[in-house]
Amino acid sequence: MRVLTLIRQVLDAEESVRIKDGAVDLEGRKLVMDTMDEYGLEQALRIREAGVETEVVAVAIGPARCQDVLRNALAMGADRAIHVETDAKLDVIAVSKVMAAIATQEAADLIFSGGQQADWDSHALGAATAERLQWPQVTWTNALEVKDGSLTGKHDVDEGSETFAMPLPAVVTTQQGLNEPRYPTLPNIMKAKKKELRKESLAQFEVVPKTTVVSETVQVKERMKKMLDTKDAAVAASELVKLLRNEARVIG
Amino acid sequence: MSTAVAPMVAKRVNGGSFLIEDLTAADVFTLEDLSEEQKQIVKTTADFAEKEILTHVDAIEAKQFDVTKALLQKAGDLGLMSADVPEEFGGLEMDKITSALISDNISVLGSFSVAFSAHTGIGMLPLIWYGTKAQKEKYLAKLATGEWVASYALSESSSGSDAMNIRTQAVLSPDGRHYVLNGEKMWISNAGMANLFTVFAKIDGQKFSAFLIEAGTPGLTVGPEEHKLGIRGSSTCPLSLSDCMVPVENLLGEAGNGHRIAFNILNVGRYKLGAAAVGGARHAFRNGIKYGNDRIAFGKAVTSFGLIQEKIAESATLIYAGEALVYRVVGAIDASLAELDKSAPDISLQVQKRIEEFAVECSIIKVWGSEMLERIVDHVLQIHGGYGYVEEFPAERGYRDARINKIFEGTNEINRLITTGWMIKRALQGKLALLPAIQKVMDEVMAGPSPREEQGGALATQRALLANAKKIGLFCAGAASQKFGQTLEEQQEVMGALADIIIEVLALESTLLRTEKMAGTKPLAIAMAKYYAARSFRIVEKSAELIIGAVAEGDMLRTQMTIFRRLSKHEPENTVALGRQIAGAMIEAGRYAL
Repeated sequence: MRVLTLIRQVLDAEESVRIKDGAVDLEGRKLVMDTMDEYGLEQALRIREAGVETEVVAVAIGPARCQDVLRNALAMGADRAIHVETDAKLDVIAVSKVMAAIATQEAADLIFSGGQQADWDSHALGAATAERLQWPQVTWTNALEVKDGSLTGKHDVDEGSETFAMPLPAVVTTQQGLNEPRYPTLPNIMKAKKKELRKESLAQFEVVPKTTVVSETVQVKERMKKMLDTKDAAVAASELVKLLRNEARVIG
Repeated sequence: MSTAVAPMVAKRVNGGSFLIEDLTAADVFTLEDLSEEQKQIVKTTADFAEKEILTHVDAIEAKQFDVTKALLQKAGDLGLMSADVPEEFGGLEMDKITSALISDNISVLGSFSVAFSAHTGIGMLPLIWYGTKAQKEKYLAKLATGEWVASYALSESSSGSDAMNIRTQAVLSPDGRHYVLNGEKMWISNAGMANLFTVFAKIDGQKFSAFLIEAGTPGLTVGPEEHKLGIRGSSTCPLSLSDCMVPVENLLGEAGNGHRIAFNILNVGRYKLGAAAVGGARHAFRNGIKYGNDRIAFGKAVTSFGLIQEKIAESATLIYAGEALVYRVVGAIDASLAELDKSAPDISLQVQKRIEEFAVECSIIKVWGSEMLERIVDHVLQIHGGYGYVEEFPAERGYRDARINKIFEGTNEINRLITTGWMIKRALQGKLALLPAIQKVMDEVMAGPSPREEQGGALATQRALLANAKKIGLFCAGAASQKFGQTLEEQQEVMGALADIIIEVLALESTLLRTEKMAGTKPLAIAMAKYYAARSFRIVEKSAELIIGAVAEGDMLRTQMTIFRRLSKHEPENTVALGRQIAGAMIEAGRYAL
């Protein structure tokens, strides 16, 4: 089978967000693979390692710098990568059109997408892609297995969790707890050098994003920056509770 | 000779030549030249450090060696301990830049770094370089995967820097099947968790030799852990050898050849120590900025105050210069090693000879790197104020942990003497054209003031400072050897001050070359290069004054000071403005960022 894993490049969670000319400025900032997408890639690799004959294809849609995360994906173990290179700002509905087209071109059986985007918090990409392909999907997956050409697993819903069975082809979105992604080992980093990283242009997919980002602002939450100036843990704890209740008003 | 993870960038140069030759930016390797694969290796290493080491700090510091061993094994699984291991024995045999990158980026906790480098450096390198095929087959894979931990036992209670004076003895058993070892070893890193020891002893009290001894060998006893100032999570114990029977096949290298093993691995240890110091500094710096940005005093973050920004600016600049220095030198070593035929039967020996060519640069990196780290952990502690002095914040531990770097891998005193002594030796052997260069400077200064050579570019002033620092170094070396002749080596203070000038020449030149390589695209890099040049030249001036004061008096002193003043004449940079610019960028990024 063939598994597509969508890989997005996002600002490292440790980095501070800076706005320049009405948009988030990524210049000189540390960019990484979205952790949610890493779970998907890791799960695809585990399916392959569990003995199902699988080709794992990492896909990124975005500017030239996205090839860094695709190289990470190849070093983690993806068999090849496709990079749809574009500087256009695409909304998730537009991206889903590209994903669906690639899935069709590649005759994919399974698509992994992050459950929630680390930068814009969107959950829609997996669902939109499934909709376009008319494939079934499960979201917030935290356990997954491929057996006899179909999927079984467990995922979270509002009230709790469900176990499920689902035929292929399908779309699966991930969440924390699905697995513990591996580090690319040095030998695999060296091997990845020889793997295919194919560039595609956006034009062939004929996507026109319908939403335009006009400006971006960063929500500034001023921290209280209070230090509990005591060595006595009990005193500190009661002081903390007081602050949380009376000043931060986060507990009742 | 090794697998190039990146195309060779650096020009092939001779060790020590930096004092008399000028390079251009295109001739040196810098971090900006990393290949895609090297960047990924950096990422894997840094992620491992962040997610595995930093999440186990308490256990490591509590000497829970099972935790440290498990982490070493995990590092082994990732290939982080195989960079210097030959492919023939399952290793990755990568270039030295890559192995320096690993040392750099794994260094977020002193205790773990010491365990890691004692294992992969002095622990494994003697076996890699001197082991027989059978010895390597028996031990190397186990060490590279981290299944076994290695330890290196050279020092004794009465021999440290004077390693040749060891008292441990080895005698061949009557049946010729074993060497029987007796003696005591001290300050042995990893001893409490090691499976394999490389132990130095003199056969029949004469032939300085190395032996591979497995833990558990009868007669080998590991003593109690030392109570150390820092790196408390690393293991340091004495060893006792009492009629310890070592199979003859475990003699490492030839009998009487141990000095080669002992000294040649030091060069690698030194440049790796420098790389680790840069990594440690980057990590400490991040802690300092993070704390300083959060800590409010007088209604503002403490990082907004000028005297705190001064510390931030100096720290960031030192990290920038450290990266430039370490990777320039290691890049030059790689360029030299690239010429070797990997399949040559004596390849290990050739590699060591090539690295030994850069002994002076390795000593410089060791001294400069350890003192850079010391300065930064001090700044970081100070930014924390009282909180820096208590154990709740990593600043306190970082401060203690840094101190060992000035002691091991050859004390900084020994390495300063090596730096100047090696230059003199090379000059006398005719391998380094130092004497003509000194003569040229002497002629030039005696001829009186000459019009200043004008160079273009954003760093023209700094280029001129560097050129004059070289001249001051040569002038001082000339004046000191005129005064003391053969006995110069006994004048340790003068030798040390000469070393300081030589060290600064290499550090400043590396910094300027790196900055020029970025071709002015980074205003921050230019600011740091200027800031470093100002700091560097102050050290050169101070050292030169010490030397001139010690070698001349009366009219001669006045003449030499006139020459010195002419060479050191310059207008000061506005380091206050530069410092604020540098600190501002770092504070905004929340870490060291270029």
